[in-house]
Amino acid sequence: MKGTYLGEFEELVLLSVGILFDDAYGLAIVDELEKQTGRTIMISSAHKALVRLEEKGYLKSKMGGSTETRGGRDKRLYQLTQAGKKVLAESRELRNEMWKQVPKIVWEGGKL
Amino acid sequence: MGGRQIMKPQSTTPPRWAVHFFKWFCNNHLAEAVLGDMVELYERRRKSMSKWKADSLFIINVIQFVQPFAIRKKSSSQLNTFDMYKNYFTIAWRTFLKSKGYSFINIIGLAVGLSACLLIGLYVKHELSYDGFHEKGDRVYRVNMELKFGDNHLDLAVANPMFGETAKIEIPLVETTTRLQWYGSFLVKKGDVNIRERNVAWADSTLFDVFTLPMLWGNPSTALREPNSIVITESVARKYFDRADVVGETLTINNTESRKITGVIKDLPSNMHFQFTSFVPVVEREDAQESSWAGSQNWNTYLLLKAGANQDEVTTLLNKMLDNHLGPELKSILGKTLNEFNGEGNFFKVSLTALPDIYLHSNRIGELFGVGNIQYVYIFSAIAACILIIAIINFMNLATARSATRAREVGMRKVMGSMKSALVGQFITESVLTCVVAMLMAVGMVIAIIPFFNELIGKPIEASILFTPQVGVVVLLITLVVGILAGSYPAFYLSAYQPVSVLKGSKGSGGKRSVFRNVLVVFQFSASVFLIAGTLIVFRQLQFIQHKDVGYTREQLLTLYNIDKLGNRTESLKTSLLQMSGVDKVTVTGYLPVNFYRSNESFFTSPSLEVKDMISAQKWTIDEDYLQTMDMQLLEGRNFSKDIAADTSAIILNECAAKFLGNHDILEKKLYRLVNEQTKELKEYRVIGIVKDFNFSSLREAVKPLTFITGLNAGGMTVRLQASDLTQTVSAIEDKWKSVVPDLPFEYSFLDADFDQLYKGERQSGNLITYFAVLSIIISCLGLFGLATFMAEQRTKEIGIRKVMGASVSGITTLLSRDFLKLVTIAVVIAIPVAWYFTSRWLQAFAYHTELEWWVFAVASVLALIIALLTVSVQAIRAAVQNPVNSLRSE
Repeated sequence: MKGTYLGEFEELVLLSVGILFDDAYGLAIVDELEKQTGRTIMISSAHKALVRLEEKGYLKSKMGGSTETRGGRDKRLYQLTQAGKKVLAESRELRNEMWKQVPKIVWEGGKL
Repeated sequence: MGGRQIMKPQSTTPPRWAVHFFKWFCNNHLAEAVLGDMVELYERRRKSMSKWKADSLFIINVIQFVQPFAIRKKSSSQLNTFDMYKNYFTIAWRTFLKSKGYSFINIIGLAVGLSACLLIGLYVKHELSYDGFHEKGDRVYRVNMELKFGDNHLDLAVANPMFGETAKIEIPLVETTTRLQWYGSFLVKKGDVNIRERNVAWADSTLFDVFTLPMLWGNPSTALREPNSIVITESVARKYFDRADVVGETLTINNTESRKITGVIKDLPSNMHFQFTSFVPVVEREDAQESSWAGSQNWNTYLLLKAGANQDEVTTLLNKMLDNHLGPELKSILGKTLNEFNGEGNFFKVSLTALPDIYLHSNRIGELFGVGNIQYVYIFSAIAACILIIAIINFMNLATARSATRAREVGMRKVMGSMKSALVGQFITESVLTCVVAMLMAVGMVIAIIPFFNELIGKPIEASILFTPQVGVVVLLITLVVGILAGSYPAFYLSAYQPVSVLKGSKGSGGKRSVFRNVLVVFQFSASVFLIAGTLIVFRQLQFIQHKDVGYTREQLLTLYNIDKLGNRTESLKTSLLQMSGVDKVTVTGYLPVNFYRSNESFFTSPSLEVKDMISAQKWTIDEDYLQTMDMQLLEGRNFSKDIAADTSAIILNECAAKFLGNHDILEKKLYRLVNEQTKELKEYRVIGIVKDFNFSSLREAVKPLTFITGLNAGGMTVRLQASDLTQTVSAIEDKWKSVVPDLPFEYSFLDADFDQLYKGERQSGNLITYFAVLSIIISCLGLFGLATFMAEQRTKEIGIRKVMGASVSGITTLLSRDFLKLVTIAVVIAIPVAWYFTSRWLQAFAYHTELEWWVFAVASVLALIIALLTVSVQAIRAAVQNPVNSLRSE
């Protein structure tokens, strides 16, 4: 388990890549994260996470999709790999499993 | 729309340097994509914020990427750097050995330069360290008074007696205050003998609240409260009791009074602006409680401000306070309101000097001890920089000149695949290594020299501070910077060789491409000529001061002390001295032109005490033998006479004071002096003579008004000796003294020695400048010598052929020397205007100074030329007399 550990931020980045689908590049991911979480995300931390996730094999990337607003520079477009999809699924599974085990009474605010 | 399109291209580019920087450090995987992202973000921001703000955010973004994940991995980091450096060291060592001569010149030159710099650095550090150690030092300020009334303008380091106390009461920002005043010296009894203790001060009991003077024995808060107490330093205590815990013991002062020791403090550090060894309480002084705001200003007053108090704010409040108290007083003395007084262009102003600034940045009338001169700190720093630059230039010159010998090595390394950066690294390692060796030698030299240096500058500087972490780091840093600086040019110069051309055998590069080297030589010699000229002028000025006609004859004047304790024996001593052979004249007074007596008094030309009729002048009390003994010249009128009873109200003026009374018919004019401010009692004086101006304070200042009145002042007895055997006469006088006053020590000094003492600071600095100038010239010559040797070697074949073709020795010598002389000549042309500018500014500081004469500069130039010529021609001649067979035999 330790090797496939996924941080909260990393998970959010992976999900953003999934959401953005065919236009998942650095700045778009930052925008998406900011929109979804309402936090301020540093562009460097997003890229840092992307590099790490690619090293772990959850993401793959290719260059492409330059626009004029970027000074004609290519984007690095990210895509989820099979491993990436799997780790997200596992993470969600784990959560669901744990959710189920929380007794109802906790949510209903009852006393012990 | 059109406007926006024009605007767009220029407004949407982030700072180019930041982009370059990013590209430089960021790895290829990310660079393009991240830069694109950041530019996109930048453009988005530009729509809503200013360019400046967007730029800043862009730069912040770039900096955020300076993290391991984004930084380019260096491919070379996998190489074995240890072996590489080991190789650098080996090569450096071999090069060292291969050319011992050059290496020696290099290292010695650098070491001498560095040691000079270290010495100057220590000196400057000491000068800058004054009063930096007081715990509350950042809150302590000294009160200065600036007064102007009539033609008198005084800038004083002292204030009236009640100033500090009043400030403490009226201004809440003032926490406490303390006062100091010179007591002078007294005699302390030890067994049967009396020993003179100099440097005694009156001090308030708050002294230890303001200054950090650690008390070893006794209670600092009460030590100076009671009359007849005394606080002494540890070394004074040991002198009289051989131990330090002497609180409660008694000292017998001047044979009569006794003082109880209430405190023993640590000896004052040498970097404190006053150097007293004993303190006696102010409470004994009745006049210390006098509230007189316009009157005498004679207490060095210090204020300790509350934490957070602002100097300007306090100054404003102090000036208000001064005005409030001054107003009523002026009204009662002069019958004028403060506004009327100020309206006539007069003023009283208070300012504050921060404690650490007193030593270097304040030179007012009434400073407690001699102060330093920030000018000298600048001059010496400049000299240190000059010397260091000269030494560095030597290093660079020799290294590049020798480049030809190493060209093949560079070529070979390049062919073998060495990178330029590796070659640069190698040469820089070599020079840093040389520098480290030189620095070690320099530190050794400093340790050896520092006792002499201290004697020269009169300061106790310890070499051991070189090894304190703080200074040590600086020394290390200097070593590295000098090493890198000196090595950088040769490194880049050598590593840029094209291997093909070098290995092919065109080796002349050392001799031809030498423009930069020539510039360096010119610079070096400019600095030397500048220093020679500067030294000559400083020396001439000191000579000038020493031999200036000061208006009296200071040779063969012997001053005796302890006269104030003689009482009625004074007259009998005087008479018996006059009977001795070898003694010419004797006068009794403490007022001498060498001890900076300050007894400024205000005289008025009319009894109505109008400010515009006022003259501030020295008032010296002398006897009727004074003028003759001192050999001062009466221009008009007559001397005081014992036989004329009315002479008690007679006054003699110096020319300067006389000018104030008009140009002619000054004799018999009247002057008035306020004796008592309350009763407005006046004393009337009648002018009976005018004496030629004589210098009675530093020659930096012009002669000020001075008056003589007659009376008894027992501050000293001055004897004019005949020009016979002085030592014999002095010992005869001592015998006479012992027979008349056996209970007091025989203490004397020669006036000319005291006079020289006045210019000690100048003389010390002059000597120092001379030594350093000589040093810089020696270092320059070392470099030139090395360069000339090398050039001669380079042209061995050329010289051989020239000789075969019939060239004479003198012809070849000229040929070899000419180039260098050209450079030195250019250096002279550059240096002289610069030297002229700076020396003339230095001379301006003296009211009496020599003129800058062209021949001084000529001498400096010729000297530099001759020294250069000698250095070069030694080598040139050696090359020229060689047998051409030897130089041409081998190919």
